[in-house]
Amino acid sequence: MMSLLGEFGQIALFLILSVLFAVILLLLPKALHYVGLVPKKPSPAKRSTYECGMQTIGETWVRFNFRYYLYAISFMLFDILAILLFPWAVGLRGEDRAFGLLVMGIFLFILVVGLVFAWKKGALEWK
Amino acid sequence: MNWYLISPQLSLGALALLVILLDLFIREKRFLAVVGAIGLAVPFGFAVSLWGHEEATLYGRLAVDGFSLFFCFLFLGIAFLTLLYSTDYLPRMPGREGEYYALILLSTTGFTLLAAARELISIYLALELSSLPLYALAAFLRDEKSTEAGIKYLLLGAIASAVLLYGMALIFGLTGRTGLSEIAQALAAGGIREPALLFGVVLLIAGFGFKIAAVPFHWWVPDVYEGAPTPVTAYISVGSKAAGFAVILRVFYEAFGQPAWLLSDWSLIIAVLSALTMTLGNVVAIWQKNIKRMLGYSGIANAGYIMVGLAAASSLGRSGVLFFLAAYTLANIGAFTAVIAISNKLGSDLIEDYSGMARRAPALALALAIFLISLTGIPPTAGFMAKVYVFNAGLQAGLLWLVIIGVINSVISAYYYLRVVKVMFLGQPASEEGVPSSIPLRAVLLITALGVFLLGVFPYGLLYLAERATLLLP
Repeated sequence: MMSLLGEFGQIALFLILSVLFAVILLLLPKALHYVGLVPKKPSPAKRSTYECGMQTIGETWVRFNFRYYLYAISFMLFDILAILLFPWAVGLRGEDRAFGLLVMGIFLFILVVGLVFAWKKGALEWK
Repeated sequence: MNWYLISPQLSLGALALLVILLDLFIREKRFLAVVGAIGLAVPFGFAVSLWGHEEATLYGRLAVDGFSLFFCFLFLGIAFLTLLYSTDYLPRMPGREGEYYALILLSTTGFTLLAAARELISIYLALELSSLPLYALAAFLRDEKSTEAGIKYLLLGAIASAVLLYGMALIFGLTGRTGLSEIAQALAAGGIREPALLFGVVLLIAGFGFKIAAVPFHWWVPDVYEGAPTPVTAYISVGSKAAGFAVILRVFYEAFGQPAWLLSDWSLIIAVLSALTMTLGNVVAIWQKNIKRMLGYSGIANAGYIMVGLAAASSLGRSGVLFFLAAYTLANIGAFTAVIAISNKLGSDLIEDYSGMARRAPALALALAIFLISLTGIPPTAGFMAKVYVFNAGLQAGLLWLVIIGVINSVISAYYYLRVVKVMFLGQPASEEGVPSSIPLRAVLLITALGVFLLGVFPYGLLYLAERATLLLP
């Protein structure tokens, strides 16, 4: 039991160190410049994005169609449902089978109500 | 397992589904409010028939005892009044009325589950079930302020949930149990005297403190209250607060009531937070020009008073908390209903625009004055009796300093509550036009005003219920 705080303490230590590391790296050039060790001579090459690959063409913040969002949400719901069905089907044995079937039936019914709602409200239509 | 024992929650959820389905096929949306309000009679009837049961169900995860049923009645009452006073406001949200009613009912289902849950995971699930509809409802107007309120509420609520889960994880890690009574057994067995346990308890206080809007977890309150649609603000201000206190009462008395050092530690933390909460709430409320923001800070201050009963850590304190919550619910719902009626006419929530309201709408102004007087705690209103009980519990527990702070704060609060009354009754009206209000709205005002008076004069019936309700399932 006593070791619990110790284990969490290690994580806390990592957290503190990683934050410190980032802050020090950010401030180091400024500090060196302040001391006079590093001159400040910006040039276009220096200020360009330090990344591999192609230069991007146009804005990187592309606006994508809002309707994807509704599809994504409904897709995620039923995707998770499908995943949930697998462990449920594997676990469905023994004396509680009928009860398990009933519970999943109720759960599916609630989700179907949701689907009918989305359908009727036009969330599935590409307007 | 016995389905009958969770019939109030089940029927409430079914009612929400029914409203969603009916919304798809019915054009006259007012009918949905009627279905919802009448349908609430079903869970209410189940809850009444369950009164007197002392059992656990769903593998010991939900309790059916006086406590959970008391809160069940309270939440059903809140939902009923909410459906009524929302009808005047809903034309501002065309095409979404059905969703509105369904979300209110779903959230109420979550609240009733929360009051019954006696296991950490169930508590968390019920908390999320009750909060998620509220996030959506806060953004329901879809204008700039309402969206901001919704997003702020969602983000801060998510952080509070994370903090709460971290606290639960620490407590589960130390005791190896998630059931509240099993945690109590593990703690009573002794040997766990760790700073990590206290840390977990503090995190739980922070997570639940968000729900009850206690300082320093109150930052979301003014902006969310101001931006959210007024009926939703009223619902959040009473529902979320009552649910938060319900879960704190059950978790802290059932799981952490045992080793004396733990009890005295957390009750001291709550006592200090209580003093901070009422002082900050009252002092900042003085400066508010918007009545919704003012009622928001007044809600913070009232959370502080209720926490006196929590800090007392006695059955007297617990019944005081229940009584205070009922009194606060009536007065706050009434006050917000009056605000809805006035803002529907004026299109403004500024206190200065209430000038001369007594001449334009005498009954409405009188009702609002009664609610504000009850919130101040002046006899013969429910607020006065509630404060007497809670402060008495504090005195019995030896918290004289806290009670003195509470009384001083009540005097401060009189300034800003009665300022509204003064503006309404002594100010010059900007015009002579009356303020129209629909029949459901008047019904809510009548019910709450009568309730505030009756509880102030004959508090014994409710107090008896509250005392019965403090017997938690062992």
